[in-house]
Amino acid sequence: MRIHAPKDWELAESAVTPEAIYAARDRRSFLKAAGLGLAGAVLLGRKALGATAGFPASVNPAYPAGSLKVTPYDLITSYNNFYEFGMDKGDPVENANKGWKTEPWTIEIGGLAGNPGKWDVDDLIGKLGGIEQRVYRHRCVEAWSMVIPWNGFALAKLVDFAQPKAEAKYVRFTSFLDRAQAPGQQDESFGYPYLEGLRMDEARNELAFLATGIYGRPIPNQNGAPIRLVTPWKYGFKGIKSITRIDFVTRQPYNTWQRLAANEYGFYANVNPTVDHPRWSQASERVIGGGLFGGRQPTLMFNGYEKQVAGLYQGLDLRKYY
Amino acid sequence: MSWLARLLRSKALVLTLIILPGLWPAWPILQGNPTVLADPTKYLLHHFGFVACILLATVLCFTPLRVLWPRWDLALALNRHRRLVGVSAFFYAAIHLGFQFLHEGGWPTFWTDLRKPFLLTGLVTFTILLILAVTSLKAAVRWLGGRRWKRLHRLAYLAAGLAAYHQAAARKIFPVQVLWIFLPVLALELARIARERWPAPKAAPPARA
Repeated sequence: MRIHAPKDWELAESAVTPEAIYAARDRRSFLKAAGLGLAGAVLLGRKALGATAGFPASVNPAYPAGSLKVTPYDLITSYNNFYEFGMDKGDPVENANKGWKTEPWTIEIGGLAGNPGKWDVDDLIGKLGGIEQRVYRHRCVEAWSMVIPWNGFALAKLVDFAQPKAEAKYVRFTSFLDRAQAPGQQDESFGYPYLEGLRMDEARNELAFLATGIYGRPIPNQNGAPIRLVTPWKYGFKGIKSITRIDFVTRQPYNTWQRLAANEYGFYANVNPTVDHPRWSQASERVIGGGLFGGRQPTLMFNGYEKQVAGLYQGLDLRKYY
Repeated sequence: MSWLARLLRSKALVLTLIILPGLWPAWPILQGNPTVLADPTKYLLHHFGFVACILLATVLCFTPLRVLWPRWDLALALNRHRRLVGVSAFFYAAIHLGFQFLHEGGWPTFWTDLRKPFLLTGLVTFTILLILAVTSLKAAVRWLGGRRWKRLHRLAYLAAGLAAYHQAAARKIFPVQVLWIFLPVLALELARIARERWPAPKAAPPARA
């Protein structure tokens, strides 16, 4: 067992929301507090779009920051994999904020849903009972990690709302398609729109989350505004951004990265330190914001959420179903 | 001789051109670019590897340029710097490897990672560049003798091929930059081989008045 003694620089759970409010009021002090330079200020100055309903979010005490060191806001919002807006980590923050509109936003629920239909995201948030804050670890398949205070609601709530029929075995998520606004989507080889899926029991797991905010503010475009999936026990690419459709289906969806390179990325994508990526080790991870000599920390099974999700995969060969 | 060729003959200028890309990362870091600061070792790792690839590809263009256009003053000027550019490719590769160490957490993962072709090709490329850099010292050239030296230094082409694979494998999606870095070398080399196999007819000696 690992016993973690909190260090004096670690943020308490209670510090998260106040810091965000502080950031909105006085961004220069915030950046200083985050131990960073000047450039991030540009991002904080931008008008937030996305889903604005439900703020300020209530804090869900079941998912506190605890001893985790929360990643600074400007790193979370300027180090992104969102290939629709460019392949480099700094591309999305530039290209997703050149007029791409994420408000208003309609999300369609279909497939084998007993309650199908189209909803405005803000209305949907209202119907599902508002949003809450959860601090989750985030582990990218590229072996880096963050700790992110998300705002949003449990995916299970949406599943219940949609009333899937008994034949439905999987949930399929579809992202947006807008080749004019998203330059990366002009590359036909990706087969956009981005697609992801979960097994029904995964979707109903308490951890599965639809995020509409970060740090108590609407989710920025580059992080997948206005609504994205967060499955903290899986690699980040499962967290499909800017969702436009959710369908309940009988067959396992063929997710985008599996289609692009099935030998490297699977359907499950569970964080697993014992199953390496063909090109790098998954045993440990670099902490974003750790600096030049920040070193690495060991990666935990299911990204530290073994207690909540291990039961979903009993009897499944995780080496085969990576 | 053209002014450009005269300029490119200067060792000082070429050395400056080689050193500048190494100083470039200071700019986003001092500026506080959050994308770079989020994962600085990855940025530095990729940057130095990228420069090493460019230098390796560049130096391999020099000889075919001279073979194909033996009277072109630019090609001749560039060929004065073969050793300098080649050895700097090695230095950039060494810095790149150093950051790989920092990035991946040192020895424990270093050895296990060598089972992965992506990382093994990188290390083999580096080893070749190391051997070529050491044997580019004057004493080593004398010790080896011209023919053996030349044969040994053909390994540079193997290094280029491995580096191209290594660079392509570093990304989740094939990076197009690999093509524009290494395709010119391939094209020039093929042209050079063709030229050496089927030499151009000797130009008629200038008629005497």
